[in-house]
Amino acid sequence: MSGSPDAAPLAQANWHEVPRKKKYDYGRLIFQLLFLLPAVAFLLVFMFYPIEETFRTSLMQTSGVGESTYIGLENYRALIFGVHSEEFRAGFVHVLIWAFWSIVIQIPLAFFIAFSLVAYKSRFTGVLRVVYYMSSIIPSTIVAMLGRFVFAPKFGVIATLSKTLGWTWLARIDFLGDSGNVFWSLFAIATWAYIGFGIVYLMANIEQISADIREAAELDGANRFQYAVYVVAPMVSYPIRILAIINTVGCLKLFDIVYLMTQGGPRYSSTTLAVVLYRQGFVNWHYGLAAAIGVVIFLMSLFLSVAQFSLQRRGGDIA
Amino acid sequence: MFRTRSVVLVLVLLGLVLLAGALPAFAQSKVKLTVWGRDLPDDDPAHQYIKKVVEGFQAANPDIELDYVALGDPGLMDKVKVVMASGSGMPDIFQSWGGSVMGGYADAGRLLDLTEELAHIECSEAAKGAMTWKGKVYGVAPFFAVAGVFLNEPVFEELGLTVPTTVEELEAVADTLLANGIQPFACGARDLWPTLALYMYLVDRYGGIDAFEKARSRQIRFDSEPFVLAAQKYQDWVKKGYFGETPLSEAYGDAQVSMAIGLAAMHVTGSWMCAQYSDPEFTDQTLGFYPFPEMPGGKGKLTDIMGQTDIGFAASITAADKVDAVVRFMEYAMSVEACSADPGRICSVPGVPAPSRLTQMAAEVFGTAEAIQFWWDQDLPPAVTTPLNTTIQSFFMPETDVKQALAAYEDLVAAALGPVK
Repeated sequence: MSGSPDAAPLAQANWHEVPRKKKYDYGRLIFQLLFLLPAVAFLLVFMFYPIEETFRTSLMQTSGVGESTYIGLENYRALIFGVHSEEFRAGFVHVLIWAFWSIVIQIPLAFFIAFSLVAYKSRFTGVLRVVYYMSSIIPSTIVAMLGRFVFAPKFGVIATLSKTLGWTWLARIDFLGDSGNVFWSLFAIATWAYIGFGIVYLMANIEQISADIREAAELDGANRFQYAVYVVAPMVSYPIRILAIINTVGCLKLFDIVYLMTQGGPRYSSTTLAVVLYRQGFVNWHYGLAAAIGVVIFLMSLFLSVAQFSLQRRGGDIA
Repeated sequence: MFRTRSVVLVLVLLGLVLLAGALPAFAQSKVKLTVWGRDLPDDDPAHQYIKKVVEGFQAANPDIELDYVALGDPGLMDKVKVVMASGSGMPDIFQSWGGSVMGGYADAGRLLDLTEELAHIECSEAAKGAMTWKGKVYGVAPFFAVAGVFLNEPVFEELGLTVPTTVEELEAVADTLLANGIQPFACGARDLWPTLALYMYLVDRYGGIDAFEKARSRQIRFDSEPFVLAAQKYQDWVKKGYFGETPLSEAYGDAQVSMAIGLAAMHVTGSWMCAQYSDPEFTDQTLGFYPFPEMPGGKGKLTDIMGQTDIGFAASITAADKVDAVVRFMEYAMSVEACSADPGRICSVPGVPAPSRLTQMAAEVFGTAEAIQFWWDQDLPPAVTTPLNTTIQSFFMPETDVKQALAAYEDLVAAALGPVK
């Protein structure tokens, strides 16, 4: 057939098509680049350049106003071993404590509330879901003001209630001024403010568990607590792990509620890395030190984010 | 007829076009002056001065377009710091408390030297000094505040107490107040800076007016004797309960309320509180203003007064091409007309009457001053001001070793200003 007179034009046509396929489609490339350009420019200007500048500034002695001097790793040394170490170490330790207790307290609490809302579904479930989530959408300034109003001595909610009930021991507790109590006072407010997201996130996952599994557990004689602990919790372990990482990264950046309620005090009793960063940069005019703290927060967040992605890869989709 | 009408119509239209063309040019000839301040120019009694400045200046200077922006506290300080650091977006004039913060901007070349232009404006030497840095004047301070003791006079009268003139008398008064269920001092230690006023006076009364200056200029350490003695006295008073049971939970606003309802009897703070403490809508108590008592055996005197700018304005280098408008603004800010609108601050302009008995008392304390020490946190560089207030706040914690806390602060100062020579 190939030697037939009709085959010759076809072969000629195929011979012509081969180089056409190899030809690069520059129009398409330009089109792709044009669409990528805004995103790339945005990332370069608002993400990579500030990160590079933060790293560079962390090696300088600068007040932000006037000249800068290169001092190598001196800012890091001052933070870890030098005159600023007390405040930095306090901030560093506090974010780790925050992260620990948020995993130990906030996540189990969010899980049990989410489970209760799913397991004991009623006509109030929707309303309760809104109520729990509402705290998450209230601006942190308002949350901090409410927190101050609750814990304020003499005229606060707790002080007034305890006076009304005659509980003088409660009225005497210094919630925000005692270095032993201040963490738990702030943690209580933060738990209220941030738990809503965890509840809604876990509810969405628990609701996806098949009803057959629940029936099977009931047939095996499991009560609701056992069903929650031994069946549901393992099934939502992946979202719980993700929530733990989100909480930990959030703790590293914790600023608003702490600064607005106590400014990190008394002394450094409730300070966090972000509060130390703000104070060094914008109050004490130590831009270099503030940048060094920013680098520490960035590296810790990066490490946790990598861990999060690695978990996602291993955990796969929600069961 | 039709032709005449057409000609008139064309002429009118031509006139309108020419006018429209000329309007932008006319508008451009108007100088625009951007001023950043802390307070809103609203009806709040504490904002009456700024309201008068904004409205009065605009009315008196129609050729200048005033753009006043209220940024609040600490918004004003933060935003000024950011624009001064970047060197762009600076306002022509901004509200400033002078001192070392203003000095930092001046050293960086961000401020407009107005030494000659403002030389004719009359004001107190203390206010002028506050807006002067390294011999150059960068602005004006129409109001100057002094620290002293606000005191609940009826409570004192009821308990048969007299105004203390020595620290020993002050302690006796505090003990009597405490025994009668009244908190001796209101403070607001949670907000850090309110703790400073009392400490400044205690150090002065132990070590004299030059104690702080010697430490600042690195002749003595910040953990030397007068500083430690003052800290020990401060902590001793905290332990005795002079500041109540929960002083570190109380903000400056809480301290004001404690004074307003008679829960606390004394408040060592700045005279900027005169307007509020005179306001019958805020308090039904009658308060007086007195100098901080002397320390028997100490070097400080009753006439050593701590003071700072209450309201001031400085000009940035951005306004270099509109110096005339800037000076006219400064002149109006320092006018009797504008200053008379304020209901409580001590005015540094001659000829402005004190608006209340309390302000009059504070002005008298200011008038008796033989030596004025600028508020420490305005006199020290920003690198060590908040750590100073944090250190003083730690005196409120019973477990704090004040010597160690001051030694740690001295290390910070040594790192920022150099070691003691």
